[in-house]
Amino acid sequence: MKAIQAEDADALSQLYDRYNGILKALILRVIHNEAEADDLLQEIFMEIWNQAKNFSSQKGKPLGWMVTLARRRAIDGLRKKQAYARAEERLQNETEQQPDAWAHNTTEEEIVLSDTRDLIRKVIAGLPPAQQRAIDLAFFRGMSQREIAAKTNTPLGTVKTRLELGLKKIYDGLKELRGEL
Amino acid sequence: MNFKEFQNQSRLYVIGALEPEELEEFEKARKKFGKKAEDYIGECYGLHEAFALSLRPAKSSAAIKDRLMAMVRSRKEA
Repeated sequence: MKAIQAEDADALSQLYDRYNGILKALILRVIHNEAEADDLLQEIFMEIWNQAKNFSSQKGKPLGWMVTLARRRAIDGLRKKQAYARAEERLQNETEQQPDAWAHNTTEEEIVLSDTRDLIRKVIAGLPPAQQRAIDLAFFRGMSQREIAAKTNTPLGTVKTRLELGLKKIYDGLKELRGEL
Repeated sequence: MNFKEFQNQSRLYVIGALEPEELEEFEKARKKFGKKAEDYIGECYGLHEAFALSLRPAKSSAAIKDRLMAMVRSRKEA
């Protein structure tokens, strides 16, 4: 990140090679459209280049900063392009075909991230499906608690409890992992 | 709001899931707890990274990187 802050284009190229797959997966999970995801990925890396000076290692890791930025842009993009209804339909189809998508995402990845990845997947896969669904709608769809309640025909208080419990388990899992690394 | 409740709300806050009325209370508590609150919120942003890492990486078109690097280099030259 320091090299990118110093406007070293080769450093951006390396950052892209290392993280484009993770960011693209995140964008795709939000907007469910390959071509739009590619366009957005390019815009996001351009924003990373332009905003690199605002990154501070004291506030967290570069990947966390990039993911936060990518998620915000992807959710904004989803709303702006009014693709919400279409994406909803695709999400619905996907959910029906693969109700436990998170739990089945197991493949080879870079060694450096594999421990984190494995543990996070285990923690998420261990959550009750209703908690997974609530978190999925909040994080990847940018939905509020009320929107989730309406979409899932669930009382608002139940949605809140599901989010709180699920997020706490994932947060505790991350803390445990940080302690081990 | 005590700090434990603040911690619960912080995890909802970082994923943008607090309702407007909760957000108001949260911001009050955030001020009240000061640096301890900011540190905790910072930790909670680790959830973003966790969710991204839980997904299978996706391939992007090679043309995207070429376009990106061309844009970056042309801006540098300008």
